Amino acid sequence: MALRRGSSLSGLAKRGLGQLHSELSSTVCAAQAEATAPLNGSFSLGGVRHASQLAVKQRMRSVQNIAKITSAMKMVAASKMRVAQTQTEKSRGMLTPFLTMLGDLPAVEVEHNLVVPVSTDKGLCGGINSTVSKYARGTLATFEGEGQQNELIVMGEKGRAQLARDRSSFIKETIADTQKVRITFSQVSAIAEELMKTEYDVVRIIFNKFQSAISFKPTIATVLSPDALEKEVEAGGKLDQYETEGPDRAEMLQDLAEFQLAVTLNNAMLENNCSEQASRMSAMESSTKNAKEMLEKLTLSYNRTRQAAITTELTEIISGAAALEG
Amino acid sequence: MSSSAAASSYWRVAGMSYLKYANLCADMVRGSLKEPTKTKAKLREAVYYRAATWKDGKPEKQVITDLTDTAAEQEVKK
Repeated sequence: MALRRGSSLSGLAKRGLGQLHSELSSTVCAAQAEATAPLNGSFSLGGVRHASQLAVKQRMRSVQNIAKITSAMKMVAASKMRVAQTQTEKSRGMLTPFLTMLGDLPAVEVEHNLVVPVSTDKGLCGGINSTVSKYARGTLATFEGEGQQNELIVMGEKGRAQLARDRSSFIKETIADTQKVRITFSQVSAIAEELMKTEYDVVRIIFNKFQSAISFKPTIATVLSPDALEKEVEAGGKLDQYETEGPDRAEMLQDLAEFQLAVTLNNAMLENNCSEQASRMSAMESSTKNAKEMLEKLTLSYNRTRQAAITTELTEIISGAAALEG
Repeated sequence: MSSSAAASSYWRVAGMSYLKYANLCADMVRGSLKEPTKTKAKLREAVYYRAATWKDGKPEKQVITDLTDTAAEQEVKK
């Protein structure tokens, strides 16, 4: 069995995963919904062999195929996660100096917020996109309550679909397909420039921070605009403790603010990508488990019905024979 | 350090942001590498994303930014 699955796996992995996504999203949902409810006609009375037996058999085959696909997707996600994890851990090294030097200032008093939820482009990855949307809604509501202006720039197709339903008036721009080629710092810089076209005081990037393969923490990273950063430093930030050379402070702060935005966004996108793969891995693992459970139930009911039909036929034959003898 | 201060103001006067400047410098460094590191490093210049501006709760036009080096991508796939 293990061998057979192994060979079908490599074949599956070669097929485009994107295509699988669209095929699967409907089937997996349907399969999970039906795992609890008995199949139509599968528990037919009288133990008579009907066409329903054929339906059960077909259903068994399709469930088995789904289990194979989901377990293949799990393997693919696992290997992608390993690559993403090293990238993510490297990107943290760029971010940490900023946090020690400028600090994280989530409670800074400003007028104009730019909320950037980072979501995924593809589905079938558990609840990480809903978490991001939930936090984005919460952030919008909080700062709206404090009378601050809010705007949304949504990254990723899934977040766009979720937030366009009820927060479409806030959306200023949507960005997608960032993972189509690969996430590079050049790409993130281009996106950061795109963000900087907006007038803002603070950017709040919402993403899932990768902790381990089973744990992702929804995180809000705060990046100040050059002007807001300068105000904050004058009000007694930690930056004056450092001795600096080069251009004057205003210019240096502007460079720093821009670079900090790109670095934070880079880290956020990589963290979210890594969480996506990890989340998909566990989602596919439980899908495989569910499909196997369902297959077991179906096999049991199939065999039971078949046995009942045989028993009925035998009884009929024996009683018929007994009637002839008597 | 005065020379670097002057240089930095030049690119800003020319209308470049720090990120543009930094990435341009990085591209120059990558360009000066030797093979086979060069092709590998070139891949990190790839830029691809799809952006759409929204107005009044509706998406307007969609812009695809694609600065990927197709030749380099093909080279890796081989």
